[in-house]
Amino acid sequence: MNDRPELFRGNRIFLSCIYWAFVLYVFVPLILMILMGFKDSKFIGFPIRSWTLDWYKGVFDNTEVLSTFGYSIAIAVLSTLISVIVGTWIAVLLEGRKFLGRSVMFGMTVLPALVPGIISAIAFRIYARYLGIEPGMGAIVWAHAVHNVPFVVLVVMARLSTLPKSQIEAARDLGADPLVSFIRITLPYLVPAILGASIFCLLLSFDDFVRSFFLGGYEPTLPVLIFAKLRSGMSPEINAIATVALILTAAIGIWAERFTRRMNKES
Amino acid sequence: MTDQTPLVRIEGLSKHFGPTVALDDLTLDIAQGEFVTFLGPSGCGKSTTLRILGGFERPTTGRVILDGEDVTNQPPEKRHVNMVFQDYALFPHMTVAQNVAFGLELKGMGKAAIKRRLDEILSFLELDAFGDRYPVQLSGGQRQRVALARALAPDPALLLLDEPLGALDAKLRGQVQQELKSIQRRTHKTFFFVTHDQEEALTMSDRIVVMNKGRVEQDGTPEELYFRPASRFVAEFIGETNLLSGQMRGTEGDKVVMDWQGAILMGKAPDKLPGEGQPITASVRLEKLGFHAERPQTGNAVQGRVVGKTFLGSRMAMQIAVGDGGDALLRAYVDAETGQSVGNDPVWIGWEADNMAVLND
Repeated sequence: MNDRPELFRGNRIFLSCIYWAFVLYVFVPLILMILMGFKDSKFIGFPIRSWTLDWYKGVFDNTEVLSTFGYSIAIAVLSTLISVIVGTWIAVLLEGRKFLGRSVMFGMTVLPALVPGIISAIAFRIYARYLGIEPGMGAIVWAHAVHNVPFVVLVVMARLSTLPKSQIEAARDLGADPLVSFIRITLPYLVPAILGASIFCLLLSFDDFVRSFFLGGYEPTLPVLIFAKLRSGMSPEINAIATVALILTAAIGIWAERFTRRMNKES
Repeated sequence: MTDQTPLVRIEGLSKHFGPTVALDDLTLDIAQGEFVTFLGPSGCGKSTTLRILGGFERPTTGRVILDGEDVTNQPPEKRHVNMVFQDYALFPHMTVAQNVAFGLELKGMGKAAIKRRLDEILSFLELDAFGDRYPVQLSGGQRQRVALARALAPDPALLLLDEPLGALDAKLRGQVQQELKSIQRRTHKTFFFVTHDQEEALTMSDRIVVMNKGRVEQDGTPEELYFRPASRFVAEFIGETNLLSGQMRGTEGDKVVMDWQGAILMGKAPDKLPGEGQPITASVRLEKLGFHAERPQTGNAVQGRVVGKTFLGSRMAMQIAVGDGGDALLRAYVDAETGQSVGNDPVWIGWEADNMAVLND
């Protein structure tokens, strides 16, 4: 346990101070935000004299807010499906093969992850108009999918590189052609990576503002709706919406963490 | 067995990886039901041969005929050949039963037939109780048996085994060797076994092909290889031996007469007879040397002095200095009692001419 040498005297105390400062920095704003959603007044700020659940009732009674949640989730699911299929495909093409231009192909695949959101959003907007794609769900899904492909490629390639060659050879030896051995051996091996990448894509898409804002039509996604509401002033209603979104994403994150841990234990 | 057509016919097989020649013009027949072992150090071409037979490599030149059919260009899934991989390559997301049934499903067998075959092969390999387990839940020896069950289940004409005992600990290995041999006997399958472990090869094989640098050094039964090694490489690779470097003196019947440390010795002649006066090497196994107080009546006898003894339990390893300057050493195994009774006085070491092989060098 204690076999790591101390960097300097008081190192441990110093490190734990930094750690707790970090925890406060992350959680205090979130806790404040959550608390304000229960305040029985239109103005954000202390002191909170009386508490209410009205803001939450408002969120669940407001069909606009609810449909925005649904819209964001639909976009996240669709774009994730596309990224996972395309990304896995590219990973399988690139991993473990040597061919001319492989590194160029790999570089171009990863590039979308590095282009600043605002720039790719504007580029998408112009390109979409040029192609005659209307702003709206299709355009957002397309932009999210393209943006998320690199993450899928990286995660799936990493997993694929650990698949022993003998696994595929054994499948072939037992009568499986290349396609059957891919479906029955390679794909099951990739499931944990694909699931992990999917969760990441879902959260990235659900959270995205810039692309959704530039490529959206009249219907707002959740981040765009929150932004629009902010422009007409802070209100505990926004805190309530944000808290619901926070609980939703945290739940997915925790479930994914436990699930992948179980998968890792099994294999 | 030898008069019928061979199960496998390998014709002029070569494999080049860039400038390296992994396999150099191999021609060989394997009979139905044979346990053939390809033995040699790493890089000798044994694994390349195995992978070509399995369909994982294409030879640069040459053909592989299996059961009368040219399979040289057939992919692995089309061949009536199955393999036990060095790392077993069990599918981790499938149970033992699913692993073993995999090849049966792909053969297009019906559910009932698969179930029957599965039960048969699992009980044959004493794996009945493990059908529902996953590979991670098994011990090394059990995994090895599952790999064997999976490869045997589709009833292949030829079973390839790629150093399948390498991952087992020494104690288990001996037991598994016996098991493998008995499985081969009971199934009458043709086993093509690859290993670098000479002991493994000697215990299990009907026939051993010793490979070196992509070529066959010697091809014969374990006894032939052990007692009549054709080359220095084989003599040194298989078992322990005394290598006697002397001079060719001539022949006498089917024996070669040689001069070694001032003594005239006789040994079995190699394929290619060297000329008189040429330097030659002969090999005699450690356990073939006998100790005598008087000059023995054996074909070969030299006088020497014991300079070292090592107690090995059931036997004793002796070192004997021979020759004028006492600079040539012979090593011998004797039973422990004989070993203890030998003192520092000069002794006679004797062995039969039939037990010494003059090598092709």
